[in-house]
Amino acid sequence: MKNSSLYKGSLNTIIMKLLEEKGRMYGYEITQKVKAITLGELNITEGALYPALHKLEAEGLLEVEVEKVDNRLRKYYKLTEKGNKETVNRLAELEEFIKNMQNIVNPKLSY
Amino acid sequence: MKLSDEQIQRLYRFTREHFVEHYDLQTELVDHLSNAIEEEWKENPKLSFEEALQKEFKKFGVFGFMDVVEKRQSALSKKYHLLIWKHFKEFFTIPKLIITISLVVGLFYFFKYIFFYELMGIGMILWFVLLIAALVYEKRKMKKRKNQTGKKWMFEEIIYGYGSFSAVFAFPIHMINIFSNHGNGIPNDYILFGISLFLVAVFLGSYVVVKIIPSKAEEYLKQTYPEYAFSN
Repeated sequence: MKNSSLYKGSLNTIIMKLLEEKGRMYGYEITQKVKAITLGELNITEGALYPALHKLEAEGLLEVEVEKVDNRLRKYYKLTEKGNKETVNRLAELEEFIKNMQNIVNPKLSY
Repeated sequence: MKLSDEQIQRLYRFTREHFVEHYDLQTELVDHLSNAIEEEWKENPKLSFEEALQKEFKKFGVFGFMDVVEKRQSALSKKYHLLIWKHFKEFFTIPKLIITISLVVGLFYFFKYIFFYELMGIGMILWFVLLIAALVYEKRKMKKRKNQTGKKWMFEEIIYGYGSFSAVFAFPIHMINIFSNHGNGIPNDYILFGISLFLVAVFLGSYVVVKIIPSKAEEYLKQTYPEYAFSN
């Protein structure tokens, strides 16, 4: 993952935001989707994605569905009701963070 | 190109060879690797199955699946603890609160009027025997289920291994130790009440861990593992 330490803290929020838009997704789909949106700039590693998904699931923010696709079982993740509420909070928090960072990186000198 | 059934089986074996013992995690990783390999083939059709697999596996880093397994374990332990807490709390809300209060008050008066240290010893031994009996009974049930499906489920193992709460089994022995070092006379009311409250809490806690959750295991496992339904 590029600049991993900067992105790391936002991985959960990224996952939740994607699930909010798409309804339900499976692990591999999430990695590909993120890569596509960021034009390959942000590459979520497998070693980070699954632990994040499992943690969100244990916290009751995600629930799972399993379906047989081709000749294998596929596990889909989707937001629970609690997860939906939490997504709104976390996105607001992230936006606030981005705004503050922008002010620090690019301070408006004249008020 | 799609993966064949044999290749899927090979992927299951591959996860087992790399220390993923539990079917739930194996399944998720198999699907991930399959997708990745199929995607790889779109760009690189000449790559052999094994080469593509090795290439994808490398992306998991030097520790392979270990990290994923470890984190999965801690996520499920957390889920388990939340479950215990949820059931434990029920004993402190109406209507079960009435049972809890009666137990504490009953134990308190029992101790107050018929307290002698040997009684504690006998009580603890009895408790210990009951715990072991429950343990043997539930383990047997789990074994039966594993024989039916031939698969290991991580959350099931946590439930029947009592997570980190296996210490409850040593508890009665500790209590005997503590009470065998007694001085003379009966402790005062506050201490007696404290002991009653503490014993009831520990008793309810072990009841949740040893009896309530295992008896609902099926339900919790189905909720954690929708794939449970596919494999039976």
